[in-house]
Formats: sequence, C-alpha cells, structure tokens
Amino acid sequence: MRTHWTRHPLSRLGLAALAALTVAIGAGPAGAAGTFRIAVGVDLDTVDPAQMTTTTVANMVDYVAETLTSLGPDGKVQPWLAESWTLSPDGLTYTFKLRKGVVFHDGTPFDAKAVKWNLDRLKDPQVRVPIRAPFPIKETEAVDASTVKVTLTRPSAPFISALSWTTSAIVSPASADKQGNEYKNIVQTVGTGPYVFKERKKGESFTVSLNDKYWGKKPTYDTVVFRIVPEAATRESLILAGQVDLIVLPPIADVPALQRNPALKVLLAPSDRTIFISMNTSKPLLGDVRVRQALNYAVDKKAIVQNVLFGAADEMDAPMAPSLFGYCKVGSYEYNPAKAKQLLAEAGVKPGTKISFHHPTGRYVQDKEASQAVAGYLREVGIEPELQTMDWPSYIAIINAGPAEKTVHHLAYLGWAPAFLDAAQQVLQYWSGYHPPAGLATTFYKNAKVDELVPAADRESNQDKRKELYCEISKQVWADAPWLFLYVQRFPIVYSAKVTDVGSLPNEKFSAIHARPAN
Amino acid sequence: MAAAVSLFRQYLAQRLLASAVTLLGVSVIVFLMVRVLPGDPAQVLAGLLATEEDVARLRVDLGLDQPLHIQYGVFLARLAHGNLGRSARTSQPVLEELKPRLRATLTLAVVSAVLASFAGVAAGAFAATRPYSRFDYLLSLVTLFGVSMPTYWLGLMLIIAFAVHLNWLPAAGSEGTASLILPTLTLAAFSVALIARMTRASMLEVLGQEYVRTARAKGLGETLVVARHALRNALVPILTVIGLQFGTLLGGAVLTESVFGWPGMGLLLIESIFSRDYAMVQGIVLVFSSLFILTNLAVDLLYVAIDPRIRYA
Repeated sequence: MRTHWTRHPLSRLGLAALAALTVAIGAGPAGAAGTFRIAVGVDLDTVDPAQMTTTTVANMVDYVAETLTSLGPDGKVQPWLAESWTLSPDGLTYTFKLRKGVVFHDGTPFDAKAVKWNLDRLKDPQVRVPIRAPFPIKETEAVDASTVKVTLTRPSAPFISALSWTTSAIVSPASADKQGNEYKNIVQTVGTGPYVFKERKKGESFTVSLNDKYWGKKPTYDTVVFRIVPEAATRESLILAGQVDLIVLPPIADVPALQRNPALKVLLAPSDRTIFISMNTSKPLLGDVRVRQALNYAVDKKAIVQNVLFGAADEMDAPMAPSLFGYCKVGSYEYNPAKAKQLLAEAGVKPGTKISFHHPTGRYVQDKEASQAVAGYLREVGIEPELQTMDWPSYIAIINAGPAEKTVHHLAYLGWAPAFLDAAQQVLQYWSGYHPPAGLATTFYKNAKVDELVPAADRESNQDKRKELYCEISKQVWADAPWLFLYVQRFPIVYSAKVTDVGSLPNEKFSAIHARPAN
Repeated sequence: MAAAVSLFRQYLAQRLLASAVTLLGVSVIVFLMVRVLPGDPAQVLAGLLATEEDVARLRVDLGLDQPLHIQYGVFLARLAHGNLGRSARTSQPVLEELKPRLRATLTLAVVSAVLASFAGVAAGAFAATRPYSRFDYLLSLVTLFGVSMPTYWLGLMLIIAFAVHLNWLPAAGSEGTASLILPTLTLAAFSVALIARMTRASMLEVLGQEYVRTARAKGLGETLVVARHALRNALVPILTVIGLQFGTLLGGAVLTESVFGWPGMGLLLIESIFSRDYAMVQGIVLVFSSLFILTNLAVDLLYVAIDPRIRYA
C-alpha cells in the first residue's frame, strides 16, 4: 500500500514553510503616513532640467525645480519665480523682476546671478539641451539682485510661455559641482521647489521630501514617492490593491471599469496632444487636395474615439488642441464615405489604389489599434492601405527622412504635443521651413500664405493679433488638409477616492503637489 | 594528485580562453546588430521637438559620426580597460548603471534557480519513488501547466490574486523580501516544472537498475537508497538542465522584470533597445553572455565532482 503523500516528511516540511511564509507576509504592505505614492510608466533618464525631453520625467522634476513662469490649472501662463516682466518695444529684450526671499534647497539665495547662470547654461553648446530652439537667448544680464535682463537673438512671442517648460527650470549654481553633479550633467537636482530631492533608485523609484522653507503654499504630504512601473496592467493592479495613490495611463480598455469603481477616481485630463495621420503631399496621389479631403471624410473619428480609445480623446475641430494659445475652432470633416468616394472619383483615383501606411506601436495610446481602424475605413472607400507596424526608433527614422524625394511613406500615424501651451510649436508642423530633415513636418505641405504667417505670428508681440494670425493659419490648413485630422488625446489619471485636490495640466502632466486626504 | 591538479588547471585555462573568444564574438555580433537596427539614437534621444542642429550635435557627442570600424575600435579599447562606455540616454558610465541592475537581476535569477532546483528535484524524486500515484499524476498536471504558461500571463495572475484580491504581497517593486516572492514564483515556474519532469524521468531509469536492487537487498533504508545511491547517479542530466535553465532564467528575467517593475538588467535592456542606447545594450548583452558562459563552465566542473567517471579532457 502506498503512503498518502501528505504523510511524507518532505511534504510536511513544505506545508510548514508555506505556513511560515504566509504568517511572515500576512501583514501586507502599507503606505507610511504622510507619503503620497505615484506610479508612472517611464524611468527618469535624467533629472537635469536642461536635458528634459519626456513630459512625465519633467512632471517629477517639477516637484524639485521651478521655472520663471508656470502654467496655471487653466493652462494660461502665470508669474512664478519671476513676479513680473516687461518687453522692450523691439520685442528683443525682456526684463524680469524676480521673487524675493526665495532660497534653493542648499540654502543659497535664488537671485539674478543664479538665473543668469542657468540661462547661460541653457545656451552653452557644451551642455546637451535637446529642446533648445524655443529659447533663442543671446545674452542674460543680472541688473541687480532681483532684476534680470534677457536679450533674444530674434523677437519671440512664445518665449514667456517657453519659460514655463521644465527645460528652463532654475537650479542652484552652487550645487553644480557637488554630490556627483557636474556642470554638464546634473544628477541631483537642487532647486527651489516644494519638495527636496531625497533618493533616486534607478529603474525603481524617485523620492522627494517636503521643503520646510518653501516660499509658496506648503503641500500636505511629507514625502512623495514616484514608482517606476512600465507595465500598464501592473500599475492598474497597484492602484486597485491600494499600494499606490495615483497612477497615470492605465490600460485604456479598462478605463470604463475603473470609472465604475467607487474606490477610485478617473481623470481623463485634456491634453495638447493631437493625433493625426500625416499625409505626404510630395507623393503625386496625396499632392491632390481632393484626395486629402476625401480621406478626412472617409474616417469615422467619433466611432474610433468611442470604440478604440474608450472615450479618452476628443475629435479634432482645428489643426491644434483647444488648450493651446492661438486655438480657434474651424470646422469638422464629418464622416461621409459617399462624399469621400465622390472626391476620389473626381481626382481620378481608381478603387483598389495601394498606399503605404506606417505607424508606431506602443508609442501612443492604442496607436496600432487606431491605425488598423483607420485602414479599415479607407478600404471602404476603395483605398488599399498597406500597414507597416514599427517600433518607435525604426518608425521615426522612416518618417523623418528628407528631403521629400527620399521619403517612402504615404500615410504616417503621429502625435504632436507642444511642450508649452502655445500654437507656435504646433504650427511648425505646417511650415515648409520645418520639412525633414530640418524638422518633423512630415507632410511636406507648402502654402505661401502659411509660410508667411508662421514666422510673422512668432514675432508678433501683440497677443490679440498673434491669436488672429494663428486662427488664419488654422483655417487655411484645415481646408488644405495635410493631415487626416483624428483626435486630441486625453491623458488618463487614476487616483484613490481617499485623496482629493488632484488635477492636471493640459500638457499631459498630473498636478498632485497639493493633493491631500479627502476627509 | 599533482598531475590531477595540473590537468585541472590546464582544462580551466583552456575553457577560460575559449570563453574569452566567445565573448569577443558576442561583442562583434551585438555591436553590429544594434547598429543594423533602423533608427538614429540621436533623433530618438533628442525627441520630436529638437532641431536638426541639436540632433547633429548630439550625434557627434555620442561618437556616432565616426565610421563603424573606428567606433568598434574605440569600444574594444575601452573594454580592455573595463570601460563599457557611457549610456546615451543617461550620460552615465554603463558600468555604474549596470552594477545595481546586475545585483537585482542576479538576486531574482539565483533565488529562482535555487527554488527551481530544490523544488524541482524534490518533487521529481518524490514522484519517481511513487510512479502512477495520485501525487505523480498531480505533479504531471502541475508541471504541464508550469511549462506551458506564458510568463507574462502568470505574473499578472499572481499579482491579481496575491496583491489585488488578498493584498498579501506588493504588486511591484523590489522593497523588502516580500516583493521578491511573486517575481520569483513567476520566473521559477517554468524551471521548476522542467526540472521536476527531468528528475522524475532520470530517477525512474536509475531506480530500475541492478545496483539499486542490490542496495535494497543489503537492507539499506529506502531514504538512503533514494538520496545516496539513486539521486546521485540521476543527477548528471538534471544538472545539465539546471545549468541551461539558469540561462533561461536570465532571459526570462526580461519579461518578469517588466511585469513586476523589478529594477534589473532585463527591464533596462528593453528600455535601452527602444531608445537605441547602443552602449547600454552592448554592456547588458556582454554581461548576460558572460554569466551564461560562466554558468556552463561551473556545471561542467560540477559533473566531475558528482560523477568520478567523467574526466577533464
């Protein structure tokens, strides 16, 4: 007769070990009092403001380092470390009055010298500054302790707006050669922000602690921990298990279920990211405006937003997001396959015409799925898209090829999100000076009026006039349809119902510095 | 004895030399492979909003404006000094970036390997002593499940069960011992199953042999017969599987680390490939290859310790 297996000494040992393990871990993880825990999907590639390229990373660095201007909850530029400024009549020189009594985390004063040091560093070719173009600084002068004069190489109306972006955040000059920092590469940010850089565990977490000497409104939580969790489903599990208080970008298909969960709150934050299909107008087929308009009519954007994006987007009604300065609503290409077919016939496009369609995967929310949906609609009006799925670096190499005769793509799915909320960076997409390889205007769209208005708007210091110019550009671009206008993405943020005062900025940043317990 | 020691030294020297040549080959392959991939690291790094000049400056900064053979020469010269270059993404020395990551990955892989070896061998040996019993059938079922489950799915299921529903364990991260449990189980599942199946088969074969019957006939206790006589002889093929499994565990760490946000080399490898961080990808692949080669060497050396019939050659 065989022994029953649980009577075997080995199996008893196993059961005992399992029981011990269960007891040991039974307590479970719990958030320390006073700690706010956030899970994000990307690790910090750098904590040096000047080297920023990624919004989420900038979002974390914003806790520590502050900028001269900032974005209010409405997305409008407001004074921050600079209390006020004036512009010279020639539009070239800004004079900033700095906030007094502000100190860096290392105790050194925030003053005109510190600002000069930072802005000089921003234009120094020795320092790697990937987003340098919005800062056309010629020279900076410290007039007195709290006055800074910045002279530009050319008039730039969006400069004040650009100063709200993390790239130009001010760090302590005295910290640049301490704690592993070098002038060329800051690894421990010492700013003036409400939180102090505490610890960074690469690939795992970034921890900041409360700045007791903060000049502004003090946050509630003593410590904020950002956890790096690349997998969306795992981030979702963390918030469901109560192991973090806020996550960004849950799996998009789960948004409806998360919205129904009473323990959670879902914020589908408006963003400035326009998602579109770039149409390469240098190709004979897409050089015809009727074809481009036809493709715009052929796609049911509403259905894609509902069924592929699960509501986390808004159909475009202008060539830019409503959150940008310079936006005006210009129209709609309503879903009308009959009209699309008619326009295609007028343009002499035969049914079954093949067209290449490149798209990235894993870069934008549901990029692959949305591309497939678009391709489906195009097939219904007789266009035969050949889908090419690629990882981001391969994709960007294909669509960024230039000049026009070197390009292979017809259609390319792309997102465009200005770093600061101004049309200036958006309309580059429609300007011939930004055709690849100079920039990423992958449509090669060229219109004399737009080409004239884009630099004019950039120079125009009268903000009302500037707004009108952008509106004019928008109308022209909308009619010429170099893009298949899809939608403005929303940025999903999920947080625990136990906390409140969580918001967002319209450039895909969460705003949780002043989050606090709900009761 | 002296002869045996010198034979061992000669063998070890030969194997180490062969390992170095293999690594050099790996370095050439990985060097070329990352560069054959489409995509410009400077463009990826600079982001969409950067200007052409910014990208061009970055390209010079990263040494990517040099011809390939020069780039490889620089890479080899640095490697000879134990310098793996600087990461394009973080501007930090690759070696510095790798150290904590290697520790994290090794912790996960070694704990999983130990768990897989002990659990696999114990379960397999136990089942072999009771073939076609209920436990044996159960083990067959469980191991079939273990070898056929995708890591990604298993990881998420464990998270949902133990973190979301029971809230016993952290869903992600590497803080404290508790955070090691789910990634280890996920990573070890396949290996436990494979080692258990291998052990069972190997043991069954050995247990049927004459000398085992002799040992039993001598009146030795069953535990002694199984542990001392049978298991030791069954161990050579099992050890081969365990050695190879360590390589699988290192590879599997890529997916497991991604699911659990475990800050190891696998996670870093994925990020580095997607940002075309050449120096980092090269560094990680070289470290992974070295570990694999060293493990194989260790297994070969262990054969001799276990089975005196095997000699260095």
